[in-house]
Amino acid sequence: MKNLIIPTILLSTASLFLPSESAYAAGDAAAGKVKAYTCTGCHGIPGYNNVYPTYKVPKIGGQNYEYLTVALKAYRAGERDHPTMDLQAQALSDQDIEDVAAYFASLGGE
Amino acid sequence: MSQLTLLRLAANDGTGMTTMIKNTILALLMVSLPLTLAAKGDASSGKEKANVCEACHGLDGKSVDPSYPNLAGQYESYLQKALGDYRSGRRTNPIMAGFAGPLSDQDIMDLAAWYSSQIGLKDLSIK
Repeated sequence: MKNLIIPTILLSTASLFLPSESAYAAGDAAAGKVKAYTCTGCHGIPGYNNVYPTYKVPKIGGQNYEYLTVALKAYRAGERDHPTMDLQAQALSDQDIEDVAAYFASLGGE
Repeated sequence: MSQLTLLRLAANDGTGMTTMIKNTILALLMVSLPLTLAAKGDASSGKEKANVCEACHGLDGKSVDPSYPNLAGQYESYLQKALGDYRSGRRTNPIMAGFAGPLSDQDIMDLAAWYSSQIGLKDLSIK
């Protein structure tokens, strides 16, 4: 047991200097997948339309993590004007936003 | 009756139109104007015009930095809406305001056609 103490300390200290393993440092993609259930109601239907004016609900699978967090926080703050997204984003904490963004980003582009 | 004719009518005080009718015409125009962007863009012209977008979004729509959105494979009508909103100031972003401001309707349609024709973004899957 005693033999393990020093390597453990060394490893845990070393980990402080290593870059984070995850590309989406603050978000948890697995948690985000669960929280993103509501999002699929619009963003999970290929070709689904907004109305007045009519344009398609954007694809967000494989979108960049950082852009997604900025967009969701802007909706939440009312800086981006979209009635549905403003309401959805208002229900999200910072952690929720980071988690769903990590999930969407993890879906990867081709 | 074309939108421009309606706009002239609405702007002309000499027609004797009531304020309510003018407001109605203007409201109808505000609803119908975005539809003018629903026409077809030309992807190859869009590729030419995308050389200024390339520095951030990549020529193929895969952005060079995670703070900029990927555009590859995004829906054409969403891209038209986004560029139109940046141009009108409805969507605010200091960088995009500068680039979208001078774009014509045709430029917007062409750029949207180009980036939507690339492969990348996906709809979420429902499981």
